[in-house]
Amino acid sequence: MADHSVEITEGCRLPVLRKNQENEDEWPLAEILSVRDTPGKKLYYVHYIDFNKRLDEWVTPDRLDMKKLQFPKKEAKTPMKNGLPGSRPSSPEREVKKSLDLHVQSASAPSRGKTLPTPKRKAESVSLATQVTAATPVPSLPSSAEASQASVYPAMRDTSFSIKSRDEHEPLTSLTTNGTTSIQRHLIPPQPGRKRKSCGGTDEMVKMFQNNSPRCSTIYLLPGEDSQDSSDGIPSAPRMTGSLVSDRSHDDIVTRMKNIDCIELGRHRLKPWYFSPYPQELTSLPILYLCEFCLKYLKSLKCLQRHLTKCNLRHPPGNEIYRKGTISFFEIDGRKNKAYSQNLCLLAKCFLDHKTLYYDTDPFLFYVMTEYDSKGFHIVGYFSKEKESTEDYNVACILTLPPYQRRGYGKLLIEFSYELSKVEGKTGTPEKPLSDLGLLSYRSYWSQTILEILMDLKSENGERPQITINEISEITSVKKEDVISTLQYLNLINYYKGQYILTLSEDIVDGHERAMQKRHLRIDPKCLHFTPKDWSKRGKW
Amino acid sequence: MSKLSFRARALDAAKPLPIYRNKDLPDLTDCVSINRAVPQMPTGMEKEEESEHHLQRAISAQQVFREKKESMVIPVPEAESNITYYDRLYKGEFRIPKQLIHIQPLGLDNELPDYDMDSEDETLLNRLNRKMELKPVQFETMMDRLEKASTNQLVTLQEAKLLLNEDDYLLKSVYDYWVRKRKNCRGPSLIPQIKQEKRDGSTNNDAYVAFRRRTEKMQTRKNRKNDEVSYEKMLKLRREFSRTMSILEMIKKREKSKRELLHLTLEVFEKRYQIGDFSGEILNEVTVPLAEKTIYPAPISLPMSNRHKAESKIKSHKPVPKHLHPFTVKPEPHFDFVHSHKKYNKRPKLDTFRQPVRPERQQTINKADIKQYDFHSSGEEDYPLSPASEPDEENDPDGIFAFRRKAGCSYHAPLVDQSCTPHWQQTGQDRLWQRNCLTALSVPRRCIAVARGRVGRGGRVVLDRTSSDLDRALRHLDPDMFYPSADSIVPDLPVHTNTNSHNSKSSPQRSLTQLLSDIQACRWKFFRPRPLQENSRGEDKKGTPQVEKGGAAPLSSSVSGGFTEEQFHSHQQQLVQMHKQLQQQELQQNSTAPELHTHVPNAVSSDCMSKTLDSASAHFAASAVVNTPNNENRPQIASVNGVLPNSGSFRQAKLNRSGGGGESGSLVRMTNSSNPQLAVPQSLPHGHGHLSTVSAVSPAHTHHSARLCAPSPSALKLASVASSLDRVPKVTPTSAIDIARENHEPERLALNGLSETTVAMEVT
Repeated sequence: MADHSVEITEGCRLPVLRKNQENEDEWPLAEILSVRDTPGKKLYYVHYIDFNKRLDEWVTPDRLDMKKLQFPKKEAKTPMKNGLPGSRPSSPEREVKKSLDLHVQSASAPSRGKTLPTPKRKAESVSLATQVTAATPVPSLPSSAEASQASVYPAMRDTSFSIKSRDEHEPLTSLTTNGTTSIQRHLIPPQPGRKRKSCGGTDEMVKMFQNNSPRCSTIYLLPGEDSQDSSDGIPSAPRMTGSLVSDRSHDDIVTRMKNIDCIELGRHRLKPWYFSPYPQELTSLPILYLCEFCLKYLKSLKCLQRHLTKCNLRHPPGNEIYRKGTISFFEIDGRKNKAYSQNLCLLAKCFLDHKTLYYDTDPFLFYVMTEYDSKGFHIVGYFSKEKESTEDYNVACILTLPPYQRRGYGKLLIEFSYELSKVEGKTGTPEKPLSDLGLLSYRSYWSQTILEILMDLKSENGERPQITINEISEITSVKKEDVISTLQYLNLINYYKGQYILTLSEDIVDGHERAMQKRHLRIDPKCLHFTPKDWSKRGKW
Repeated sequence: MSKLSFRARALDAAKPLPIYRNKDLPDLTDCVSINRAVPQMPTGMEKEEESEHHLQRAISAQQVFREKKESMVIPVPEAESNITYYDRLYKGEFRIPKQLIHIQPLGLDNELPDYDMDSEDETLLNRLNRKMELKPVQFETMMDRLEKASTNQLVTLQEAKLLLNEDDYLLKSVYDYWVRKRKNCRGPSLIPQIKQEKRDGSTNNDAYVAFRRRTEKMQTRKNRKNDEVSYEKMLKLRREFSRTMSILEMIKKREKSKRELLHLTLEVFEKRYQIGDFSGEILNEVTVPLAEKTIYPAPISLPMSNRHKAESKIKSHKPVPKHLHPFTVKPEPHFDFVHSHKKYNKRPKLDTFRQPVRPERQQTINKADIKQYDFHSSGEEDYPLSPASEPDEENDPDGIFAFRRKAGCSYHAPLVDQSCTPHWQQTGQDRLWQRNCLTALSVPRRCIAVARGRVGRGGRVVLDRTSSDLDRALRHLDPDMFYPSADSIVPDLPVHTNTNSHNSKSSPQRSLTQLLSDIQACRWKFFRPRPLQENSRGEDKKGTPQVEKGGAAPLSSSVSGGFTEEQFHSHQQQLVQMHKQLQQQELQQNSTAPELHTHVPNAVSSDCMSKTLDSASAHFAASAVVNTPNNENRPQIASVNGVLPNSGSFRQAKLNRSGGGGESGSLVRMTNSSNPQLAVPQSLPHGHGHLSTVSAVSPAHTHHSARLCAPSPSALKLASVASSLDRVPKVTPTSAIDIARENHEPERLALNGLSETTVAMEVT
């Protein structure tokens, strides 16, 4: 019914042709994020709903299925203009689905899916809130209990904070322009048990703010940020610890779209996955050239050529703390070597959605993994690490560059990070949120590491071998929670005859053995020359 | 299974978990349902992304196959690794060192330019290379410097020249090229750079701004809420202390330059003395071009102390010093601060009245001349055209009762030297004549024996009559008989100096004729008011009785006449001689300007007279009491007087007085120009010359100028020094310098004391 005279605007949804991995045609639903009018033809930047942003791309009109075009919801348009994530990947449709999955009463879904008329928004949203509260099995959404808590809470803070905290607790009554956004957010029902903990009290509340743990991020941080957004337009700075953002409320359309077409780094041409704040004048280039060793960005091959006559680096500008075979690790201090750290972060941002470059690199150490050949030490991947982490993070950002992916380097990076933790005598965990690839990699590493231990346990004097979770954690430096979650994920924990036991099924054992055979890249702790520094005793990072 | 076993205990991380193989536990399936008791751990992913299609597929695939399947991996954008020109680009090989690589912390900074030449630059370089040899790095360095030196504004060619230090042709071509390129450049700089944050927070949400500086987080104890507050207070305190430091630093600097100025001034002064530039002409010649620039168009500022800075500003911001003239006849009493605003308002009109008359340039030079010797105690400037500001009431604890200096009034130190004069010991007639003088009244026209004049409140002149055995005889004296010739020329010639009492130390009992002859020979003082024949209005006021002070009979002086209480010193010979000259001059002057009733002749004579003055007489001059104007007689003219006097005439008058005092120590009839409009043009040049003369005579001038700025601490000190020096026959310049230096000290102290109120200085 829709013909080509209909103008496709930002926010429209329609099926878009894309090839899947088997090179088959698929028509996943996609959202138009941007329209580019080039002479001759139009280009549309589409986000495939339920697919990762890294697959977003510019498509020609012939790939659009105009017949199934859906026009943007009125509400979606405002957030678009405000740069608020009204039409983020978390599209209403999907949330509906998710809500249903998570046993939210279906009644709430259609009401939310529909447009809330702007003038009535507040009233409706309030009623919606109650509706949701009633409907949700989880007593965590703004309820009387929390409201009463909020009334106590402000007395302990200054006024501005009390307003904020009230917003946190009653997000639905304090809706402004981004009201729908917060409704959407709050319709994501928290998981059982999680909420109660986060509402524990003031102290915990505060902690929750600092603490970007996954359990609080979706629930508290987001509304908190919302309220900051609406507070007289004074933008607030994000927290200063960590390297990742889970809160995307500051996202505007700019950061949702890839801005660099192609990066040439050494032998490789990389297609960036996400936005990266390289100098704006460089974003229009077809190819951005990077010096392979110092990672300086250059606008042309000629410039790179010239640069290479002046750049003598053949390895990352740090101390080599590990070398085995061709694999080396270099440690770079984010404060002492700002230029390199920043260049590295800019590159990494192209492949890490949640990485934030808001603040300087001072509190981080960068561990760059390289592979040596006759030309020098080529960067393969890296991870960053806070010099001091209050939350047991031993990794902030971690990345294997795309050309090296799926070859075991990621696991090597992870392994190395835990080796460092072992030297430090601490357990650690990666900073959250994890990406999809991150989750898979970590799960895989944890599984293999834990299974390795479990399989190696021999029974002593005829008794059944046994181990505590703490012991596993100590041996591996994997944080206890991660050990438990891995055991759960592998379905190893069972309750048997009044106690918990670990059971190893055949397919787990087989799968593990097969995987370990493929895993030839390992970190050799003997090759690590690393002495941890106590950064807390230094004045600065 | 009992119901109880469903409520599984929480997983205890410290409790050993036995490990079973599935085959060992055939009955495990019975227990599977209990698994739910262990709370599901979060994945650590963002909720929204957790459900993404490819991830879910990959997870399920892993769970099903325990192994990654090629088709089940999460797809990512492709990457190519076949850059063919790689080996050409990255030339050379790098041998792996045996040891782990360890970088030197500071070894990486070589002076290579950040700018990288592009192909466009290469074209230019090739073109330039036809004429000269230019290496790419050289070119890049030039571009780099130009780029880094310019911020929002491009470097100018001149700056570029300094910056680059290259051959002119090369510089010009590269500069022009750079400017052109820079203008076409889309980015903010030719060297692409990450967008910097702006301090105003406007870039807080700019996606392209990265690597913002972390604001330092306060390291305070968690439990103390007020810790942050006190920390902030400490920070503030520190800031303020450092500000104080810088203020003090600046004060120190200022004081140093002031000392410098003083020394320089003294040096100039000495030089002038050496070359005999008594009239200031040489100085003027030298300073005129300078003066045009540097001299404030401010009045001859009689330095005020700090406390009255605000007021001083009000008064001094105009070049026309209405209140400057100490002899200005004013309707208000002298310390009337309440009416100051009123007066102030009047000024513009008065200015217009006055301005055309004033010879502008002379004035300026005069000011310069005087200004030169002004050392303000606190360094407050006479802001040339600063707007009038109201006196700051808050800085003035006494409110309206506070003592405020009046512009134009000179405040002098108390005369201590009187008491220590050697004449004090004199007795009888000599003493009588020392302190008193023969006084005559114009109406009724008769002598009223011996009297002494002093200045009462509001500048009134009070005559204290002293009884003596000569009263009777003197009463019948005809006031005119002393100057038979004067009547015919100027009937009211005001000044009659006396001869010196040193000389006339004769018998205690003197005859009337002796007396008369003494008077006639100007050995004794004689005061006779000027008859106001030209001024009928004066008569009206005449009857107003004067406030009587002491036991003396009240005498209403119908005309304004000042007494100058002086003491006589030495050098009478010279002085007598001078006096004679003076009289001649007076006569000449009066004959040329018959209407002039001022004491202008003195000024005329000053040039020749001054030559004979030595330091001691100058001392004397400096210590002379200045009479304040007497004003009650002629309100009409008073206003005229109030309007008209300019600094020139003031100076002149003042110097007349001191000069006269120096000459004879006798009664000087002070200037009261009934027609100053006429007086001014005539007297001005001379007045000026006169002043410089006196100042040139000896370092004692410093005292003189110090007197002008009376109650400033330095002046007070100077005054006492001056009086103590009275007996010193000759003050050497060096001693004067010493005095001046010494003098500088209290100034500084005063200044330091006041520095806390120097709010205006806070630059930060």
